[in-house]
Amino acid sequence: MVASRENFPLLAELLAEQQQLDTPVARFSTAHDALLQTARLNVPLHRAAPLLPQLIPLTAPSPGEHYAFEVDLDSCTGCKSCVSACHSLNGLDGNETWRDIGLLVGGDSAQPFTQTITTACHHCADPACLNGCPVLAYEKDPVTGVVVHLDDQCIGCSYCVLKCPYDVPKYSQRLGIVRKCDLCHTRLSAGEAPACAQACPTHAIRIVNVTVSRSANGSERLIDSPINAFLPGAPDPAYTQPTTRYLTQRLIPANVAAADAQTLRPQPSHWPLAVMLPLLGAAVGLSTLASLAPHFPTDFPFRATSVGNADLRSSTFAAHLKLAALLIGAAGLAASVLHLGQPLRAWRIFLGWRKSWLSREAMMFGAWFAAAIAAIFFDGLNATAATLGGLALACSAMVYIDTRRTFWRAAETFPRILGTAVLVPLALVTPSVAAVALLAKLAWEARSVFGPGVSARLQRGPLARAVAFRMALGLSAALLLVVTPGWIALVVLLAGELAERTLFFRAVDAPKMPGMPA
Amino acid sequence: MNKSFSDTLLHARTGPMTDELVLRPAAFGLGHVPSRLEPVATTTSVCGYCSTGCGLKIHLNAQGEAINLTADPAYPVNLGMACPKGWEALTPLAASDRATAPLVRDRHARNPTAFTPVSWPSALSAFTRNFKRIQRDHGPHAVAVLSTGQIVTEEMALLGAVAKFGLGLLHVDSNTRQCMATSHVAYKQSFGFDAPPYTYADFEESDALIFIGANPCIAHPIMWQRVMRNQRSPDIVVIDPRATETAQAATFHIPARPKSDLTLLYGIAHLLIAQDAVNHAFVAAHTTGFEAFAAFVGEFTPERVSAEAGVSVETLQRLVSIIARRERVSFWWTMGVNQSHEATRTAQAIINLALMTGNIGRPGTGANSITGQCNAMGSRLFGNATSLMGGYDFAEAGDREHVADILGIPTPAIPDRPGLAYDQILDAIDRGEIRGLWVIATNTAHSWINQSRARAILAKLDYLVVQDMYATTETAQLADLVLPAAGWGEKEGIFINSERRLGLARKVARAPGQALSDFAIFKLVADAWGCGAMFHAWRTPEATFQLMKELTRGQPCDFSGIRDYAHIEAEGGIQWPYPAGTLVSSATARPTADDLAEEIASETNVIAPGPNQNHDRERRLFADGRFFTADERARFFFDAPRPMPEPPDTAYPFILLTGRGSSAQWHTGSRTDKSAVLRKLAPTVLTLEIHPDDAIRLKIVPGAAVRVQSRRGSADAIALVTPTVQRGQVFLPMHFGTVNQLTFASFDPHSRQPSYKCCAVTVTAIP
Repeated sequence: MVASRENFPLLAELLAEQQQLDTPVARFSTAHDALLQTARLNVPLHRAAPLLPQLIPLTAPSPGEHYAFEVDLDSCTGCKSCVSACHSLNGLDGNETWRDIGLLVGGDSAQPFTQTITTACHHCADPACLNGCPVLAYEKDPVTGVVVHLDDQCIGCSYCVLKCPYDVPKYSQRLGIVRKCDLCHTRLSAGEAPACAQACPTHAIRIVNVTVSRSANGSERLIDSPINAFLPGAPDPAYTQPTTRYLTQRLIPANVAAADAQTLRPQPSHWPLAVMLPLLGAAVGLSTLASLAPHFPTDFPFRATSVGNADLRSSTFAAHLKLAALLIGAAGLAASVLHLGQPLRAWRIFLGWRKSWLSREAMMFGAWFAAAIAAIFFDGLNATAATLGGLALACSAMVYIDTRRTFWRAAETFPRILGTAVLVPLALVTPSVAAVALLAKLAWEARSVFGPGVSARLQRGPLARAVAFRMALGLSAALLLVVTPGWIALVVLLAGELAERTLFFRAVDAPKMPGMPA
Repeated sequence: MNKSFSDTLLHARTGPMTDELVLRPAAFGLGHVPSRLEPVATTTSVCGYCSTGCGLKIHLNAQGEAINLTADPAYPVNLGMACPKGWEALTPLAASDRATAPLVRDRHARNPTAFTPVSWPSALSAFTRNFKRIQRDHGPHAVAVLSTGQIVTEEMALLGAVAKFGLGLLHVDSNTRQCMATSHVAYKQSFGFDAPPYTYADFEESDALIFIGANPCIAHPIMWQRVMRNQRSPDIVVIDPRATETAQAATFHIPARPKSDLTLLYGIAHLLIAQDAVNHAFVAAHTTGFEAFAAFVGEFTPERVSAEAGVSVETLQRLVSIIARRERVSFWWTMGVNQSHEATRTAQAIINLALMTGNIGRPGTGANSITGQCNAMGSRLFGNATSLMGGYDFAEAGDREHVADILGIPTPAIPDRPGLAYDQILDAIDRGEIRGLWVIATNTAHSWINQSRARAILAKLDYLVVQDMYATTETAQLADLVLPAAGWGEKEGIFINSERRLGLARKVARAPGQALSDFAIFKLVADAWGCGAMFHAWRTPEATFQLMKELTRGQPCDFSGIRDYAHIEAEGGIQWPYPAGTLVSSATARPTADDLAEEIASETNVIAPGPNQNHDRERRLFADGRFFTADERARFFFDAPRPMPEPPDTAYPFILLTGRGSSAQWHTGSRTDKSAVLRKLAPTVLTLEIHPDDAIRLKIVPGAAVRVQSRRGSADAIALVTPTVQRGQVFLPMHFGTVNQLTFASFDPHSRQPSYKCCAVTVTAIP
């Protein structure tokens, strides 16, 4: 037997060889030669030609027409190449995909039914992302109808993520902006099919022209699409008019549902927003109180027992309160900036005021803050500041109501957002009344825990502890307000409002296209 | 673009972030590509996942490194398409858990699970020292090898040669035992050689495609693409207990009971004979043993078959009428057949149907096994496991002499008998007869059936070496020594796909750290062992390819007519047989533009593939009816069906089916789990498919947590309630580590392939 050797002359050679690649210069000519040869050898060239369906329209959209995806569900057998081809051919980040895959399940033993769903941006006729964007970072191409996202315009507020009912725009942590499908409009303009359509082995994805009409207010409607039959398991198309068409000859069973229909997905807490909203609510409430307090009748029965038994009507108290409100407001505004991926671009936030409640909210809070500062010096501006503050809070509520998410409907949103603005000053002036009001708010919030809805199930399930925490804080605050009104009670009250707002974000129903199980 | 100043100021339509996604037209026929990934050159490579063998066009930067890829439109297999695994083929190479240096684990150290990086010389010393000690103490065959269908053929051949001829081992098997052993044995017995007879064009040229235990929509999407190109209004029949994607896309789904397929196929044969749909001329001229087979299937009456397989007599009649009526009938099977307790006879029952109806050797016909791994076919020919490399017989002295002669090694170095199969190797470890194991590019501690026993057996080893791209696989985690291997894309060599096509895999990326190609590792091992001189001729993969050519000369798989790698690349892959003297109609003569135009314009090529390049590029076997048996006649093999090994009972009332979960997952996920994109394309938690009626009975709602238990183990999953599985049956995708905790170890007696697809389980809701 030969003893093993400690030296391996081959090793260095093999390690070096392992790192050696063919030089592209050598390969360059090969690629061209091969192309010529394979063109001749290629079976599909003559056999495939008549089989290859038209993947894109022969003509650009005429006036009144837009490009749209058309998915032939009967040809889609679930290989999912469209997702990875889109990823590779568009050079997306490692974990970024512009297409998503879902599954519809239904039928019975006699006619079992499953259907893979491939979905990207629907390039809606009335895009919610575009309508909500505070900086006009979305544009709908007037000729092609493609909803284009301007990556260098985006401030990374993620409001489009909340607005889009199809969960299309995706936030990139690396870039601090969202990105999304652009229908490969560069390819389309060169007569080349989008990546997903090119890559579908069964040609299930095509681009077609669909007809739209423009209404007086400039928004567009699809007119020749059976929108009620957009896709079972998908959000109601009436909202944004998605242009994608899903075609099938199969009978879709009545009991069909998305494979993830029952999946409970707690949503991101958006903590900067969960901090910002209660702080700004408190700030507006306090500054309004400060402007009202001097006008309280002399026989007003309450004193600010919480804060050193101060005389509510004294000008010192008003000045201190105004200053405190400003500081809290500044903290709230600062928190809001932390929510932006690209805060340096946020100066454009006024651009979207015509349609975007977020733009309006930002402008209103800006105006309120300026007025509140001015009101320290000019009491005459008190009413203006209070009005602007109230409007700003209303805009805040509208930001969420406008997403059309069930949990963020007006009846849930207004009491929460305005509630903080009322409770905090009330706790200063009349703690026991504040305690009662807080209990009423808690009871109102607790209603949302019951019932079959997504948010209710989220709060009973994965978010049960967060609900318990919020309720515990709220009840403690109420108790403290009655027993020992003071700073501690105020802080606990505010902490409870923060917990409530976190839940407001985490427990929201987030509509999306049918997804995968789990 | 005369935007006003204010508009430009207010709307940043350009900028660094916009630039990131700009697409630009590229050369090389690529269309638009991301400008930041614009290639300087391209090269082609065959994909390293499944046996479809798709051609990928690799985009290279100026350093020759792969930066992106697209499916190759010029490759005759995939015609410009790829599945998501192919599109993502480069991603797993960059995974953060690549093994970058040899790693040793000291079982007696304070932390017995920790690996320590060592140099190659000390790793090789440890390898030889430990394995030689085991051989000295327990005999030369006390060290065994478990290899793979995932490495290139040259590496398989070198491994087989080094292990058996150099290290003096006897027991070398591979994970192809888990996927293709059945087809190997079935073809060998029926046709006289392991020879899948078809070419992918048969998908397009068939009048009726009968899929048995196959779900190509998910497992082989690019083959399904070829089915969809069929213009002959084909009947597409799927025999499968589940209403799979393929079953739903078919024209006729037969949801037979699990493991009733052998009975069902005999029943079909019975009815074909009863209706005299037999091609008597073909049977008489080219087969042996039909009369005995006909007599045997006499007892498989439609009534009996209907009762046992759970399908109506009308269903049987309809299938028989399709086979009898349509001119070109092709039969296709995959793991549903191969992974069974009576797999070989089931595969042969399919072969028998093709033989008796003369559906073989003509376009659109055949008894066609769709292979699993990218190089299962290479392993079957060159793995040196069951057959002596090149398709020879270890037991034949003449074969041993012939091979020794070509390889320039002494004949006695070649063992005179095949070694143990995978399951037998594990049993021998259990008995203490095998003490050392070398595992290459497979994941026994996840994929082997009845996992708790498999792991207990692996723990008995004195020394376990795992050679893999990742030190994080379940098996590598158990190793005493991990050898860091280069993966697909970091080395070159040949894969042989399902239709016998040799395709070239290219080196387009640098392996991380000290990782080496399996080829280089085998060379180093031989060198360290002291038998390096024996493999002097195996200098490089391409030199090895030349040796392999010589081995095939005169064999049914003869590809000695292939010149070299460049020839394979120029032809877009070459199917065997390709003996020396094969008319090379295209590769040598470069066409002119006029030739191209003429050929494309020529309508005759479209209608009747005559003696032209297309015909050469898509070749099937047995057009002359001459098989590879001594008398050139195919054989009918058959046996009485046996009951499933672990039928459901009151304690374990469900039959558990397992299989591919999605097109984005591959085997144990050691590579596909490394791609964030692929991970999005399949559930990330184990999902149990269960029928709505069963779910209601067990109070399981969609998405609920469930526990699946067998007599051997337990797995937690979430419920996907779907009528695509039958009542009393549940399905789990095989890619999750807990699934093989449940499976029942039974094996086909002829192929020793494990029967993964049926065992008895119980399901409960987790409160």
